[in-house]
Amino acid sequence: MTTMKTLRRFAVLGVVAGLSFLILPVSPQPQTCFSLVGTAAASEQFEQPQKSPSSPSKGRTPLVAPRIGTERIERRATGELLAVRVVPEDSTLWGAGGSRQFLVLGKYTDGLERDVTSRSRFSISDNSVAQVNAAGRVMAVADGEVVLTAFIEGRAASTTLRIADSEQELPFSFGRDIGGILTKQGCNSSSCHGGVKGEGGFKLSLNALYPRDDYKWILEGGTYQVLTAEPAGEKRPRIDLEHPNKSLLLLKSTDTVAHGGGERLSASSADYQTILDWVRTGAPYADKDEREGEVRVERLEVFPRQTVLDPGGEHQLLLTAHLSNGQSRDFTHKVHYLSNNPEVVEVTSKGRVKAVSAGETAVIIRAAGHATVAGFGVIGRPNPDYPDVPQSNFIDDCVFEKLRRFHIVPSELSSDAEFLRRVCLDLTGTLPPPERVREFLRSNDPRKRDKLIKALFDSPEYVDFWTFRFADFFRVARYANQIEAQHAYIYWEWIRSSIAKNKPYDQLAGERIAAQGHGGPTPHFFPYSEVRNPEQKMAEEVRVFMGRRLDCAQCHNHPFEAWSQDQFWGLAAFFGRLNAARFGKRDITLYGSVLYDDPDGQEVDYGVVGKSGKVIHPRTQQEVLPALLDGTVLPEADRADLRKKLAEWVCSHPWFAEAAVNRMWSYFFGRGIVDPVDDFRLANPPTHPDLLSALAKDFRDGGYDLKHLMRNIVSSRTYQLSSQPNETNREDRINYSHAMARSLEAEVLLDAISSVTGVPEVFSNETSTLPQGTRAIDVKEPDVYPSRFLEAYGRPNRHAVPERNGEPNLAQALHMLAGPTYTEKLSKEGGRVDRLLKSAASDREVIESLYLAALSRFPTHKERSTLETWLQQRSSRKEAFLSLLWGLISSREFSENH
Amino acid sequence: MNKATSPGHGVRPAGRRDFLRVGSLSFLGIGLSQYLHLQHLMAAAANSDARKAKARSCILLWLEGGPSQVDTWDPKPNSSFRPISTSAAGIQISELLPRVSRQMDKLAIIRSMHTEENNHPQATHYAVTGHRPNPAMQFPSLGSVIANEMDRRNNIPPYVLSAEMEAMSYFRSGFLGPECDPMVISDPSTKDFKVPDLSLPKSVSAEQLQDRRSVQYLVDQLYRQRIEGIQHSKMDSFTDTAWKMILSPNVREAFDLSKEPQKVRDAYGANGFGQSVLLARRLVEAGSRFVTAAGYGFIEWDTHGDNDQGHRDTLVPPFDQACSTLLEDLEQRGLLDSTVVIAMGEFGRTPHLNPKRGRDHWPQCWSLALGGGGIQGGQVIGASDDKGAYVADRQISIGDLFATIYKAFGIDWEKTYMTPVGRPVKIANGIDDSTGVPIAELV
Repeated sequence: MTTMKTLRRFAVLGVVAGLSFLILPVSPQPQTCFSLVGTAAASEQFEQPQKSPSSPSKGRTPLVAPRIGTERIERRATGELLAVRVVPEDSTLWGAGGSRQFLVLGKYTDGLERDVTSRSRFSISDNSVAQVNAAGRVMAVADGEVVLTAFIEGRAASTTLRIADSEQELPFSFGRDIGGILTKQGCNSSSCHGGVKGEGGFKLSLNALYPRDDYKWILEGGTYQVLTAEPAGEKRPRIDLEHPNKSLLLLKSTDTVAHGGGERLSASSADYQTILDWVRTGAPYADKDEREGEVRVERLEVFPRQTVLDPGGEHQLLLTAHLSNGQSRDFTHKVHYLSNNPEVVEVTSKGRVKAVSAGETAVIIRAAGHATVAGFGVIGRPNPDYPDVPQSNFIDDCVFEKLRRFHIVPSELSSDAEFLRRVCLDLTGTLPPPERVREFLRSNDPRKRDKLIKALFDSPEYVDFWTFRFADFFRVARYANQIEAQHAYIYWEWIRSSIAKNKPYDQLAGERIAAQGHGGPTPHFFPYSEVRNPEQKMAEEVRVFMGRRLDCAQCHNHPFEAWSQDQFWGLAAFFGRLNAARFGKRDITLYGSVLYDDPDGQEVDYGVVGKSGKVIHPRTQQEVLPALLDGTVLPEADRADLRKKLAEWVCSHPWFAEAAVNRMWSYFFGRGIVDPVDDFRLANPPTHPDLLSALAKDFRDGGYDLKHLMRNIVSSRTYQLSSQPNETNREDRINYSHAMARSLEAEVLLDAISSVTGVPEVFSNETSTLPQGTRAIDVKEPDVYPSRFLEAYGRPNRHAVPERNGEPNLAQALHMLAGPTYTEKLSKEGGRVDRLLKSAASDREVIESLYLAALSRFPTHKERSTLETWLQQRSSRKEAFLSLLWGLISSREFSENH
Repeated sequence: MNKATSPGHGVRPAGRRDFLRVGSLSFLGIGLSQYLHLQHLMAAAANSDARKAKARSCILLWLEGGPSQVDTWDPKPNSSFRPISTSAAGIQISELLPRVSRQMDKLAIIRSMHTEENNHPQATHYAVTGHRPNPAMQFPSLGSVIANEMDRRNNIPPYVLSAEMEAMSYFRSGFLGPECDPMVISDPSTKDFKVPDLSLPKSVSAEQLQDRRSVQYLVDQLYRQRIEGIQHSKMDSFTDTAWKMILSPNVREAFDLSKEPQKVRDAYGANGFGQSVLLARRLVEAGSRFVTAAGYGFIEWDTHGDNDQGHRDTLVPPFDQACSTLLEDLEQRGLLDSTVVIAMGEFGRTPHLNPKRGRDHWPQCWSLALGGGGIQGGQVIGASDDKGAYVADRQISIGDLFATIYKAFGIDWEKTYMTPVGRPVKIANGIDDSTGVPIAELV
């Protein structure tokens, strides 16, 4: 390792301490390679097993001493080896020629578990049942049960494994076997033939998701058309049954015939042989006499799911495929690995992960029809003096456990002033009034934070603010929805009453999905333009309630995810009968606001809603029946109220709670555990999978109680950490080691400016003016009231995704310098400065009062004296106060929640 | 860092949904480094004749609603209007454009535009982004791409749209971010026209504002020592720019039409369109990269009824006046060589008159005109059939048009931007997602 590289790595982590504590990477011992073909030959390379220790005694001398230098350095950096274990535990090796890789994991005093397989020795209890090689791979010999034991540094660990069906071959399956090879070699990745249109005139389904299609493309050829199912162009089979070794599939993949993707297979490889044998036997789809149907991979399991590596550290991944016949197979060498960020970790084609530089990323693993992900973090300097951090609830358990593994120390608990401002803004969107700040800071009650949280939950501002939040992501709008004001109000009132009575979130979601307009029980209004397009309506509901973006699948199978166009349209069909009518009048108008599912799907207007309630698949031009994501077509008997059925399905789906807690979490931390919150997908994994599951479970178990969820969040120490970073967590952006500053939402910021200046904002348009004192978060139909301030600061039009963008921009800066919000408001008669001038307040009192109002804290001694001096130098007291107030409301401290 | 992967300037705020994250944020992205490498190689191979490019800015004369090609640039017997000869030998246009006809040597006409959408919103989206609307995507407009690719000049907003209109959402930056959104101006022909937030109110002097900024510095010191936010430096840099814009007379003046002699204002036409075109010229002169001069009423060119009357009485004359004045004015000021002028709507109109004597939407084959910025005028590209109904020769796509304009600017028209969800988007997108090809005769 060069010094430069080291420096760069440490610079990334922001570690400024001396480099004397450098960890040198452990040189890995050369990996033993052996072929899985030919058991006899391979077994010769096997270590001669030692006496079969069925219960290995502790403290045994290691059979092979690790290299001394390596060990010494490693021990210094990582602490002592505490315990070892062998994984997978209690496994079964199925089928003829079965083999499985085992790992030895060592737990160290620094809390990390490391892959120590390459430094371990193995023995197996019965050599006639199974054999093990030096790298920890076990080969089946005969049915039976054995104990595998690993030895390292005087410690030992064992696991039992069974050998079953060792005579039985797995019947051939095109999807699993050929699809598996095409996936492992990357042939069907989204950047090659698995792309939307395929590549070079050859199309494969992404990840071999649709083996029937792949079989057709390979056997018959043809060019994929995005918009129609009609094949176009010349049909060119990819195999040659007459001359199997002249099959284009083989000639291309070996680059014998020029191939844009280069050589993917060598002619001597086992995969090549598998394909060749398949063509030679007539290229069947499955074994002929297979009665019970093909054996499919049902689930792909990766070990470990989330791991921390030292600089230069390595870890082997284990992949297990669970099959439809109840068996499992080691797929470690049969899958495709890809690092999401090769600058953090690299991964070999055999699943060995190597740390490159500090950071966090994921390895995406793809097998035929399946994909999974393993999270990796590469840490910088280990922290031998890691402190004990108190924990308030399960949120802290999850967050702090990960921080500890990453050697990141969480910041201190926030100060009272910090906490007060933060929690008031997060729960009520409102700054605490100066009296409350004084009172809270003065109080010595040890339970004052909990009491404050309770008071905030019970406040009317809580209802105001969360009505605003939900109206935002439920997109209550008049113009964007093309509905009339009264209907926008009804929709808004429905949200408000739901928040006020803390309606369970599943009920809220169900009511929205199954809404039947204002005459029905659930007064919700879909944007009219979307009513006309069932597919958009469906995609929006899935985005909001399941956190997934299906839109890509509208036109083609999703390029990165397992979403097919058929799944998309199957779901869209649930909205196929949706129609809009004006209540009480015969005619149906563009601004019709009553939703209903027309029993016959009668086309009443504009003709875009499926003809006779039918949703037509754009490729096949066939009618699509309502079908859930797993392909289950809704039975005829259940189609009376389609959207009610859909709502039941959505709300009982595991994604529902996850998407909900993730979105709610993001409101308190500025980012989701999956971020963006509506973009759950394989390549965008959660930063804290355990936390996400725990929150979702708690939410489900607690009856989808939003207040309960929020209370858990704001009561956690994680939420209550200070925003003041320390040396270990300064660079952390995703692990909640310290509170992250977040820009205030446009409406919240405007309300805060109004409250600090003491001058309410007036919302008006050509025809109406809202009552004096209406706050921005209380405006029911914001799109009707133009506001340069709100637009500059990212108020969404509630019509387009993404929902909100509060990024700094030029319009904000211009408005801050010259706009009326920051100029006229300040000096207005009756405003705060005006009142302070008219009072007998001293300079010191004015400074203090403005600080309390704007920043919810007292000025520090230094700030006060600096500002007092500054004030005294000013000729006009009024001008000076105006400047001070401007300085406060334009500061980042004011504009952010921190 | 390569522009193609990170579509934005250094100061662009990294969006919440940005594809590219660094350091500990690098949780997203599939094979990012491979992708970066590839993009790097592609950029290196990009067109090398950027230096020859003359265009520095662009004015889009936006004719909202869709002009009738046979009654403007592509006269046919099925038009009620006669063809007239122009200053370019052999080129005839409609008699409704007498003044533009005398500037025809500066403009090239494309008579074989073919586009894919038939309704105003979708067609506008298509015409200004090159992409059909897609629920999963927000595409950047031509102006946003040019604002993104070109450096800023003189603190002038790089991309301006005048005047605000319903369809302006299609002219936005999509995933490129707020830096590349147009600054939208209200109708400059109104009496009390003023660009908001561009000058200090009377109650605040520059000195006072300076004073205020110094207090802000005092107030924020402690916080900024504690919290290092990327947002802070971004906001600071915007504030510096805003500060210069507000205090420098050239910016305020660029937007101040009262600085123009009345004679000039009248020459452009005392209407929303004419004054928008004049404002565009002032802005381009001051440093803007792309100005959309709209100013016609809501889909005003949408002549489903009484097409001839509309074109003859209200639609074409203001255009004829403003466009011809602009070309002359740019030439006199030596700006024509560096300023591309495009005149177009979202589609053309049917070759036949409907029962209401109107012409309906027609994306099959329509015309537009462009010139300046090194684009060779005085020629006709492509041809329609004898009724102006279908392309008879050389179909031109929006992608080809964009590629031509990019080439005039020296921008690599084959460039692809990566969206936050990892979908590549061509900046010059032709029919069926082909890459647009510059029109060789023009640039």
